Amino acid sequence: MTSEPAKPRYEMVNVRTGHVIVEHDGRSRAVRSYFSSEPSPPVEEYWEGVHVWKHWGTAQSFQFDVLDHATGGTIAYNELLGLLYYGCCQEDSAIRQIGELAHENRISIYIAITYEAPDGTPTRLARDKLVILNRLFNDRLQASKKKVLILPDLFDLYKTMSYGQIMIDFGLTSMEEGR
Amino acid sequence: MKLQELAAKLELKCVTQAFDKVVSGVYISDMVSDVIANAKPGDLLVTVQIHSNVIAAANLVDICGIVVTQGKLPAEDVVKMANKAEIPVFSTNLNRWQMATRLYEAGIR
Repeated sequence: MTSEPAKPRYEMVNVRTGHVIVEHDGRSRAVRSYFSSEPSPPVEEYWEGVHVWKHWGTAQSFQFDVLDHATGGTIAYNELLGLLYYGCCQEDSAIRQIGELAHENRISIYIAITYEAPDGTPTRLARDKLVILNRLFNDRLQASKKKVLILPDLFDLYKTMSYGQIMIDFGLTSMEEGR
Repeated sequence: MKLQELAAKLELKCVTQAFDKVVSGVYISDMVSDVIANAKPGDLLVTVQIHSNVIAAANLVDICGIVVTQGKLPAEDVVKMANKAEIPVFSTNLNRWQMATRLYEAGIR
């Protein structure tokens, strides 16, 4: 007698499409990003305290919640900008080297890149949310021998990565640039 | 159906190593986030995208293979990444609609 495979505890729900908006303040050289679910991404320049925020770039993206089937509760991942695959990093970078070592054990390393707070400081994905995110993706890999390991941005990669490297959607032309 | 059997049937050109896997469905998308949110493990991804992030997303979701349409070919570094992730990438001159109909005719649902 065979039994049905167990239903994964976590499920991605409430997927919301939108845009990552990148803004900069020319005077303080501050840069920040946020998610907008408006159909047309905002591009207006505006004052906020001492900053004059100007639109710098836009990329299609999405946000989601995770449903916990054990408790019935949902966990929002609004601070998550995207996932960065180790293979998309520079060959001599620390994360690439760690990723190559992990790959030998059939583990694929991804970095959870988060948005900056309104004051430009990085937000951090709480440890328990990272644990759930790892469980969510690994439970989907039941038939595969490989594993996914999503790490927090311990390397402050958000400062140096381009949005083309992070798994958010650029316009088709942008995505193919240089290829 | 086995992926390499399907590829031979549809005359797809394999641009990576020929990893053979079982195709359990098809997902057609050019958006990385859409693939992460909606594609299922074992799906064959049909796309026009040849960016490295497509491989990253396919690996995350456990996509069985990628068919790049309209005769596009991924760059060498993307092919290398796909080989490492053991995700076979195929190329076809057909567009996505034509590819979808061929896959349906081949019995993929």
